[in-house]
Amino acid sequence: MIQSVVQLRGVTKTYRIGREITVNALRGVDLDVRAAEFVAIMGPSGSGKSTLMNILGCLDVADGGTYILAGENVGKLSDGQLAGIRNKHVGFVFQTYNLLSRLNAIENVELPLIYGGDRKQRRERALAALEQVGLGDRIHHRPSELSGGQQQRVAIARALLNDPSMILADEPTGNLDSRSSAEILSIFQRLNDMGKTVVMVTHEPDVAAHCKRIVRMRDGLIARDELVPRPRRAEDELAVGIGAAE
Amino acid sequence: MKLYDSFRSALQSLVVNKLRSALTMLGVIIGVAAVIAMVSVGNGASQSVQNTILNLGSNLVTVQPQFGNDNGLKGAGAQAQNLTLDDMRSIQDQLGASIAAAEAEQQAGRWQVTAAGQNWNTQVSGVTEDYPIVRDWGVDSGEFFATSDLNVNAQVAVLGATTATNLFGDIDPVGQTIQLRQAFGGGGQGGGQQRARILNFRVVGVLGIKGSTFGFSRDDQILVPLTTAQHVLTGQLNRVSQIVVKATSSDTMELTTSDVNNILLQRHNIGDPANADFTVTNQNDTLAALSSVTGTFTLLLGAIGGISLLVGGIGIMNIMLVSVNERTREIGIRKAVGARRGDILNQFLIEAIALTGLGGVIGILLGWAITVVVHQIPQAASLPLLITSGTVIIAVGVSVAIGVVFGLYPAMRAARLHPIQALRYE
Repeated sequence: MIQSVVQLRGVTKTYRIGREITVNALRGVDLDVRAAEFVAIMGPSGSGKSTLMNILGCLDVADGGTYILAGENVGKLSDGQLAGIRNKHVGFVFQTYNLLSRLNAIENVELPLIYGGDRKQRRERALAALEQVGLGDRIHHRPSELSGGQQQRVAIARALLNDPSMILADEPTGNLDSRSSAEILSIFQRLNDMGKTVVMVTHEPDVAAHCKRIVRMRDGLIARDELVPRPRRAEDELAVGIGAAE
Repeated sequence: MKLYDSFRSALQSLVVNKLRSALTMLGVIIGVAAVIAMVSVGNGASQSVQNTILNLGSNLVTVQPQFGNDNGLKGAGAQAQNLTLDDMRSIQDQLGASIAAAEAEQQAGRWQVTAAGQNWNTQVSGVTEDYPIVRDWGVDSGEFFATSDLNVNAQVAVLGATTATNLFGDIDPVGQTIQLRQAFGGGGQGGGQQRARILNFRVVGVLGIKGSTFGFSRDDQILVPLTTAQHVLTGQLNRVSQIVVKATSSDTMELTTSDVNNILLQRHNIGDPANADFTVTNQNDTLAALSSVTGTFTLLLGAIGGISLLVGGIGIMNIMLVSVNERTREIGIRKAVGARRGDILNQFLIEAIALTGLGGVIGILLGWAITVVVHQIPQAASLPLLITSGTVIIAVGVSVAIGVVFGLYPAMRAARLHPIQALRYE
């Protein structure tokens, strides 16, 4: 049996806006993500997918229900313990890359190891991660000296650094042209082939079509959860030259 | 997060905002420099005053006449007695080896002095043979007059270094004769009535150079035997203007003070010390009084510097708050990849401390430079400018403490940011 990386049971989250209005962002979500899955979470804005993302990434805690991440019940953890979980088990990739502009590529990649891990291995592992995303020759460039696609690859290398249980990508191709998007998706697919668990929030069906499974949200609940029969391969698209066609 | 990384990232962010960091530091730099400069000048002034006092001789107990205060008329007391040479001799006899030495003095006023065709006007004092011991002030050439000279009212003189130069130039004054001359009666030029006394004195010695006390040169004076001053110069036979006793050490000064007091009370037949017709003061008291004055002075100067440090600290807090605000997204990113509250707190705190600590070091150098410049001013050249290790340690400690105090609130705000809100911040 393949072990569940993520297990959500009846997770709820309510936001309070001002004094009167409350928003039920999540209204009892059950979700299992197994190791080596590649899941897209889709849904219109306001469907609760961002909230779900934040809870999955331990940036926020659920009001109700249980969330077990890599065998650990994270609902009961303190702020500091949650930070530790994020450091060890979650690799974030954001739409806006979220690199530190003052640091060069390799220093950005090293960041998670500053907050946990051995200093001696830091440089070595960061270099390996950058090579994995094909940026071994750009390690001393600052984010401002890199293209959007390259910045996102640095962000992926950073997410990989602590060998997390799950890579959590929030609209990772939202700011990229189609060729760069395809590159990023091909990296995710390659990582997934190697056994990495990837969860990706997107609103583009084209992007979601590269995943193995699509979870659709609506009004704080999971509306549909289906497997993709034959996911598209980003490598093939790159080979055809989709970027050149546009 | 390791301390090393915190330091690295703090320094990085300071280097990125060079101008801002420099301007922020300026407040602390000025504050620390002001504290260093002012405290060292203050300490120097206090040291200088102390040196001046000790220049008069060390471990001194001084007795001066205190005239009774009858009906509000000072000096009108019928029962007031003079201090006399016998008083001094009695102190010498009774205290013996428990004191280092004692001497008595009488001011003989200013006299016109001529020698080798040169003319000079200077102060003449009658003193006793132990003057050089009491004042720690020996003769450079010749010798000081002895008890035998006092016994015979010998007309011998010891010259101050300046007086000797003014009267004799390069000639050795020892063995030469000087003439003291004092005009009395009549007055002014062409009075016709004016008469003058002319007295010959043989120079037996020249005092070493002593410098000045409170702006008065102590090297311009003539010393003669006390008895000679009394009988020949002033005619005040039974009076000395002060008796100076040198205690064996600073520790025995209190004891010597009370011994001297008791001997004189007994000799003057005074039962109640409150009615004493003399006052006994010792150098420790004088030094204590003066050091409390200079201490207040130093404290005041330090307080001025302290206020600039406070203002500098508020500047630090202000900039750190701006910095936290500006770097909200960075804080979000760091939290997302696993930074704990403590990590963020440390990062910003260390940044503030790096600012103030560096400011402190630069401030010390600047303060030191200021004291060196102050030292170039002629009026202050004689001030020993003291930058003690204590001052430096306190200045650095205070600036680091300011970093902690004023950096803490901004750092806490940074640490408390919620990662989601921080990441969304534009």
